[in-house]
Amino acid sequence: MKNWIEAFSVIDYISIGILLTAVTLNAFKSIESYVKAYTINSWLLAGLIAVVAVLVGETHLYIAALLTLATKGILIPLFLRRIVRRMRVTHEIQPYIGNSLSLAISGILVAVVYASLKDGIFVTGFSRNALQISIAVILISLFIMITRKKALTLVIGLLFMENGLFLAGFSLTFGMPTMIELGMLFDMLMGVIILGIFAVQIKRAFASADLDQLTVLKG
Amino acid sequence: MHNFQFLIIILFSPLVNGVIKKLKASMQGRVGPGVLQPYYDLLRLLKKDMVVSTVTSWIFKATPYIVFAATVAAALIVPVVSTLSSFSITGDVIALIYLFALARFFMALAGLDAGTGFGGEGSSREMTVAILVEPMMMLALFTAAISAGSTNLVRIATVQSVNFSPSHLLALSAFLVAIIAETGRVPVDNPDTHLELTMIHEGMILEYSGRYLALMEWGHYIKQMVLFTLAVDIFFPGGMVQASGGVTIVAAAGIYALKMVGMAVLMALIESTRAKVRFFQLPSILGSAFVLAFLSLLTHIMMEK
Repeated sequence: MKNWIEAFSVIDYISIGILLTAVTLNAFKSIESYVKAYTINSWLLAGLIAVVAVLVGETHLYIAALLTLATKGILIPLFLRRIVRRMRVTHEIQPYIGNSLSLAISGILVAVVYASLKDGIFVTGFSRNALQISIAVILISLFIMITRKKALTLVIGLLFMENGLFLAGFSLTFGMPTMIELGMLFDMLMGVIILGIFAVQIKRAFASADLDQLTVLKG
Repeated sequence: MHNFQFLIIILFSPLVNGVIKKLKASMQGRVGPGVLQPYYDLLRLLKKDMVVSTVTSWIFKATPYIVFAATVAAALIVPVVSTLSSFSITGDVIALIYLFALARFFMALAGLDAGTGFGGEGSSREMTVAILVEPMMMLALFTAAISAGSTNLVRIATVQSVNFSPSHLLALSAFLVAIIAETGRVPVDNPDTHLELTMIHEGMILEYSGRYLALMEWGHYIKQMVLFTLAVDIFFPGGMVQASGGVTIVAAAGIYALKMVGMAVLMALIESTRAKVRFFQLPSILGSAFVLAFLSLLTHIMMEK
């Protein structure tokens, strides 16, 4: 199993998949596909942790993989889908800049990350490629958060960024202690619930979750 | 013997199209025409008289021959079942792309030549798509070329059989989009109809009839099979006759047939499950594929030394 993973560079394939799901966010037009992309991203992340767990053979990594799958892969997407249904959002996401241009900018972001992390800070951990990709995912999700208007897309951008940060930390340290990971995942879950409720309230108060209209005070 | 492998592409390319049509029909619950139907169509067209508009110039008459010759020349370069062909030294991936560009250029001119609305429409659309597809195809091919250390197709096919990595997966997906756009298949163009205002390839060749149309259609089939062959050569080159450690030619032919059936199934699946998109949404799809190709090149240079 170990030899098989190394021979077919499974870690690289999964990392590339994680990068791809982040890049494709730029091409999507509907909030449902954003949620789908996040689900796939989380499943890939859980898969990556499981693969590393097999490589290293530590029990707490298996637990981390299962927890990631349960919260990020199943619970949060379910909750997001519920909010999307409840808010009855207009499905089109109107970005500030067009799809093609934002795709191109994401490509450039990835290039910048690859070039600047070519050598240097990578000291320990299992894969320099995973580190590069995680930073690229963080930057792309930041870019998504800057350029999209709807409150929910920003929440998903934040979730993507968290996945990127998780991958970055994981690729450098082989995973944090289980207690810390548990706490982080619980925080995330709470954060998403609060942000979700918040988005619903914005929608109720302003009749729209479009952040352009939040410039006016409302008593 | 290895020098005549291009005949496989030329003779069997209508069959591949027939198989795709048949598979599509069965996926959509229809019976569909037999797999040999493209041959009957070509024979019928070759026997028929031609109607050529009096306002056309020599370009209209020269184009079918140029298109057919360019695609046959492309078929000569591509290794089909064997990497021992002596034609391979005459061309590489860049030459191949430009042979297709030559054919496309003359096809677009011929579309404009007859002066009909549909022809000009088809030509302008084809050129718009080409602008987006060509660089993407080049980037995808360059990923393979860099990892093989050569733009020669035989060299790529020889080296690639032991060399598959994440960047090649990205390049392959970009290349599949390029194939769909180049062969005028569903998300980009609809190959089954002449009656829509949305046609691209069919619009350009609308004025052709008889022998000329047969040459254009056959050229299109050959181009399609060359692209399929290129895809399997670069990304799945296992099971070819090679100078050292290859398989026998019969086995190679069998494996090649399997790969072509695989490509046909993939194309039929994509065509049956996707709807044609509006023309103005194409830049978005092709742009995503371009970013894929760009990322593949980047990943290859930066991550896989």
